[in-house]
Parts: sequence; structure tokens; C-alpha cells
Amino acid sequence: MTDWDRRSASWVWEVRHLALLVGGVGTGRRYPERMADQANFERDAMEYAPQLYSAALRMTRNPADAEDVVQETFLKAYRGYGSYQEGTNLKAWLYRILTNTYINKYRKAQRRPNEVELGELQDLYLYRRLGEQSGATESAETTALEMFVDEDIIEAIESLPENFRLPVLYADVDGFSYKEIAEILDVPIGTVMSRLHRGRKALQRKLWNLAVEHGLVEPTP
Amino acid sequence: MSGCEHAVEYVYQYIDDEMTLTRRSRVTMHLKRCSKCTDAFEFERKLRAKIESCGKSQPPPELFDHLRALIQQERNTGDADC
Repeated sequence: MTDWDRRSASWVWEVRHLALLVGGVGTGRRYPERMADQANFERDAMEYAPQLYSAALRMTRNPADAEDVVQETFLKAYRGYGSYQEGTNLKAWLYRILTNTYINKYRKAQRRPNEVELGELQDLYLYRRLGEQSGATESAETTALEMFVDEDIIEAIESLPENFRLPVLYADVDGFSYKEIAEILDVPIGTVMSRLHRGRKALQRKLWNLAVEHGLVEPTP
Repeated sequence: MSGCEHAVEYVYQYIDDEMTLTRRSRVTMHLKRCSKCTDAFEFERKLRAKIESCGKSQPPPELFDHLRALIQQERNTGDADC
């Protein structure tokens, strides 16, 4: 019996449990409750593979690990698909499995403290700093955003501690609502909001620091 | 609390469209009068859009084949057990 097989047994329970929790997300249909047919899994789930891969890449920061996480997610989702309630939020259901897979696989290895302190962060962090640079020119801050290349943005996202990175990813990149994120991460909606808002400010601080490092702006005291 | 402070406090809920209509309209009314806050909100909106477009990466083309093969293999294993 491989390690993979041993884990799969507990996963059947876990995925069923998830189906009950996430199954209700954003559904207008209450009954009849129809469980999904495993035979349709590929047809239904494959369209989400690119998004799941992209999210996994931002989580693991590594293409090989990202593919591993997505493969494991698909396997668990396939095994548990019989308990997924048709017509409910499949994307959120898959993201919840992805999140748990990632956390089980990687958080154990890292053993980071659960809450990372980001320090006090000012509102409109980046906007205010860019404004100090540009003086009184109107909307210069928004124009200044163009100096950040894709790699800067990715570096800033990936620099965030996991607790803040996942809500930022799910809201900004994947377009989930606060309620959906709360269900995917299994935390209260207030926690989602506070982590998302703080995470965004921390991302802005990272972008500012990158701009300083690259000599694009004058460091402020 | 000044209108600006109030608006800035809710900037993320506003651009995420996660506010009740009453609260939202209070911020909207402030934005109509305040070009500084309008500018700041526009900045946050643009940054969010930039994060959205940069945060997306294309998967390797073989990912789909790998996933299909994985499910097929799992299906075969399941059939063999019956």
C-alpha cells in the first residue's frame, strides 16, 4: 500500500464533508438535491484546470509543484464527485479541495506560524507614496502604475505570507466573493476581509520596495 | 469622521462590490464631490485589475492530457475492484 493509497481513504470522508460545506455556495436551486455523476467529472471540471493551475503556481511558486497539487486535487475531486451536489458552485468546491491539498502538502513542511505579523500598514499605501514623488500632477499615481512589469506584480503576490496571499489571490485573480472565500478557506467572513485588506496593503508595500530597489523612485524617509 | 476618511476606510469593499446599497451610495456621493478620493479609488481599481491580469499563468499544454490519464487510470482501478 502506497502512501498515496493510505491518504486516499481519509480523503473520501474529507471530500464528502467538503461537498456539504461548499455545496451550498451561490446556488439558486435548493431541491431536488442531485448528486453529480462521476462519469461527467472530466466534462464538468476540466474547464477549471487552467485557473486551478495558475492559483497553485502562485501558492507553490514552482511549476512542478503546481502540477502535482492540481493532479492531486483532480484525483480527490474525482473520488469525491459522487457527493458533490449538482448545480452548486463547482469552482468553489474545486478551490476548496485545492486549498486543502496545498496546505496538507506544503504547510507541514514549512511549519510557519499561523498568523504572520505584517505590521501597521497605512491605507492607500502605494498611492500615497507615489503621490509624494509626483507632486501635484493629477492622476500621476495611476500612470506610475505602468512602471511595474508583470514580474514585479508576481513577485509581490508571491512575497505575501500564505494567510494573506490566498485571500488576495482568490479575490483579485480568481474573482471570488468574500463569502465564497470564507467557505473555501473555512474562516469567518470578517477574517477574510481583514486578511484581504491587509494583504493588499502588504502587496503595495512590496511593490513600493521593488520600485525603490530598481531605482524607479526616490526612497522616502 | 470626515467624508474622505470614511470613503478610504471602505475603499476595498467598494471596489469589490461588497457593500450594502445604503453604505455604497454614501461613498458614491462623497466620490462625486471629492476628486482626490476619486483618483485614489481609480488607482486601487487599476492596481486590482493589474494583479488580476498578471496573476494568471497559462498551464503547460500537457496538463490536460496528464489529468485525463490520471482520471482514466483511477477509473480503471475502480473497475478492477468491482
